[in-house]
Amino acid sequence: MDFQIAVNNSLVDVREGETLLTALRRQGIKVPTLCHMNRFSPTGACRLCVVEVEGKRDLITSCSYPVEKGMKVFTNTQRVIKARKLIVEMLLSNHPDDCLYCERNGNCELQWLADEMNVKERKFFAKKNPYFPDGSSTSVFRDPAKCVLCSRCVRICEETQLVTAIDFISRGNQMRVNSAFNKGLNVSSCINCGQCIMVCPTGALTDISHIEKVQAAIDKKKKEVLFFVSPSVTASLAEHYGLKPEKNLGELICAALKKIGADKVFDLGMASDINILGEAKQLALRIKNGAQGPLFSSCCPSWVKYVEEFRPELIPSLATTKSPQQIFGKLLKTWYTKQRKVMPDSLYSVAVMPCVGKKFEASREEMTHKGISEVDAVLTIRELMRMIRTNGIDLRNLEPVPFDEPFQGCSAAAWKLGYAGGKAEAVAQELFESMKTSDKETFKFIMPKNIAGRRESKLTIGKKTFGFAWVSGIEKANSYINQLIDQGRTDIHYVEVMACLEGCAGGGGQPINRLPEKPRNRKKICQDMEKINHWANASENSSLEKLNRSLKNSPDVDNPETYFHTHFQPREVLK
Amino acid sequence: MQPSIEPILEKFPNKQREDLIPLLQKIQDEFGFLSEEIITRVGAYLSISVNKIYGVATFYDNFRFGPVGRYHIRLCQGTACHVAGSTTLLQELEKQLKIKSGETDKEGLFSLEVVSCVGACGLAPLIEINGEYFTGLTLSKLTDILNSIREKDQTVYES
Repeated sequence: MDFQIAVNNSLVDVREGETLLTALRRQGIKVPTLCHMNRFSPTGACRLCVVEVEGKRDLITSCSYPVEKGMKVFTNTQRVIKARKLIVEMLLSNHPDDCLYCERNGNCELQWLADEMNVKERKFFAKKNPYFPDGSSTSVFRDPAKCVLCSRCVRICEETQLVTAIDFISRGNQMRVNSAFNKGLNVSSCINCGQCIMVCPTGALTDISHIEKVQAAIDKKKKEVLFFVSPSVTASLAEHYGLKPEKNLGELICAALKKIGADKVFDLGMASDINILGEAKQLALRIKNGAQGPLFSSCCPSWVKYVEEFRPELIPSLATTKSPQQIFGKLLKTWYTKQRKVMPDSLYSVAVMPCVGKKFEASREEMTHKGISEVDAVLTIRELMRMIRTNGIDLRNLEPVPFDEPFQGCSAAAWKLGYAGGKAEAVAQELFESMKTSDKETFKFIMPKNIAGRRESKLTIGKKTFGFAWVSGIEKANSYINQLIDQGRTDIHYVEVMACLEGCAGGGGQPINRLPEKPRNRKKICQDMEKINHWANASENSSLEKLNRSLKNSPDVDNPETYFHTHFQPREVLK
Repeated sequence: MQPSIEPILEKFPNKQREDLIPLLQKIQDEFGFLSEEIITRVGAYLSISVNKIYGVATFYDNFRFGPVGRYHIRLCQGTACHVAGSTTLLQELEKQLKIKSGETDKEGLFSLEVVSCVGACGLAPLIEINGEYFTGLTLSKLTDILNSIREKDQTVYES
């Protein structure tokens, strides 16, 4: 601490150069904000963070004002409180006020502010925003009428994801957040990562809900509804409901889904194992052929879309193995139907994922088989939590129900896909397993310190050394790849890219909560589950062997080598 | 086939962000408006997102995104014209032409733009159509002007 300032008549330690808001928050003093985002430069746009400083004529915005020696700050004088209340009242003046019908009812920063500021009546009668909602995207639903123009979505889209699918259009009271030429998100450069949803304070940005679709399928007697749940969903729900990371954790989620009305519930983790093995195989082949440049992971649909739009030159370097979700979908709609001797259209496959981009992935043309989609609906964790609430299920007091046959169990590797860096480690482990020369060699994958948001690790097998790297966030991925190319590096063989910061643990389909420790907690649960898993890596998963044998003999699988593979092509969008 | 904007782009070889507004102005001077194709091309040239350019261009009133009509009406909303009743004129224009400020009608005959003071306050309220000023307007005068333009356009069209 460098010096002290006076806050509400008591002395407070502060650091030179930090903003007043940072200093106040460290003291636990509550200062409301709307436009402020950690790790982003302040804009001072919403002016909710105003405080009174002795000797200053006007109230100042604490988020953008650096601490000064001898400062005397007051955070809750009548003048400050009145100003903040006025701001909220003005924000509410053109708000649709349809909280009861809003996705974010109860979890809305504007609602909380109105409550905190004791807003009891409508003070300003302004014309309601006449803007139409945009439901054109496969993943993100925008309702500009509910927007408070805090610019958080615009900034995260531009600065963290380099996409700029949405921006401020027009000026003054006409100003709104919209995609280019006021066309829908579907023709914009949006990569469906859903980070805008995660930062939106109101219900202006939500996901395209599949709840009704799924419920309709459940209600239909003739349809068999098959759920498959990603391990990271299990981890996130455990974090949210305070469940212990025990062996039967997934079975609690299974029990809940059975109560909701699922006919069958499977563990997606097995497909994660297939995906890891597939990518490791591709990597080994690539190394053997001496291909230029690293192999990039392709299980993140937003990263894939980014490459297709902005960096098509990287398409040949993307792993063509399908993502776990699509592997599972394909298995269900082809192999599984044959096993069960049912028609593919009598099955309804629902993936539960920590991601809104997966909704887009499920709708891709390549992901259909003879006109039938591999995955019919994708629920985010938020949607699943809502269904759990709607059905009045208490997750803490459920009897575990084992996952359905024939897909059972996943290895520890599948849990690694739940957080940034896990995939790289899992693939490295498989590469090691397939290339090690003697059983005496042990797998060593050292996690080095975080270097500017990306990490690299070395894996030694015999006399050869291979480089693995992982980055999360498109901006970081982009600059890292540029750096690899500029420096002409050839020591990196595999790069895991996740579009969301902290990987799926910070995914766009996670519960909306701005506490930074949440993704870390989810990662911790994934790692705990790894430890108690009886298969340490993907190739140990013994159920895969049986499946592979069955697949080879299945008439439906024309070529087992390409069965779980897909392809990518450059994409023309407004970018 | 529209003429190419490439000659204009070549005048900005540095391809910097600050070139954006002068570049858009030059393009609008030449083409009359900024089309989607033009904005997309400018974005690719300056390596700026299309949406960013659209955001900047919509911030300024002077950029247009559709072609102007054969008769481009500029209505003065300066202080003197405002006091002299230009808002009534605007309402009347919007009613008769069935377009709002910044729009062009379906036939491509009229387009309407509201401008700040044109510097002829003594003659308020006034409109300017294709460089010609119509001053000291009343609602009936305005109707006469519009009708005469429609007639003139009709004869040109028929001949």
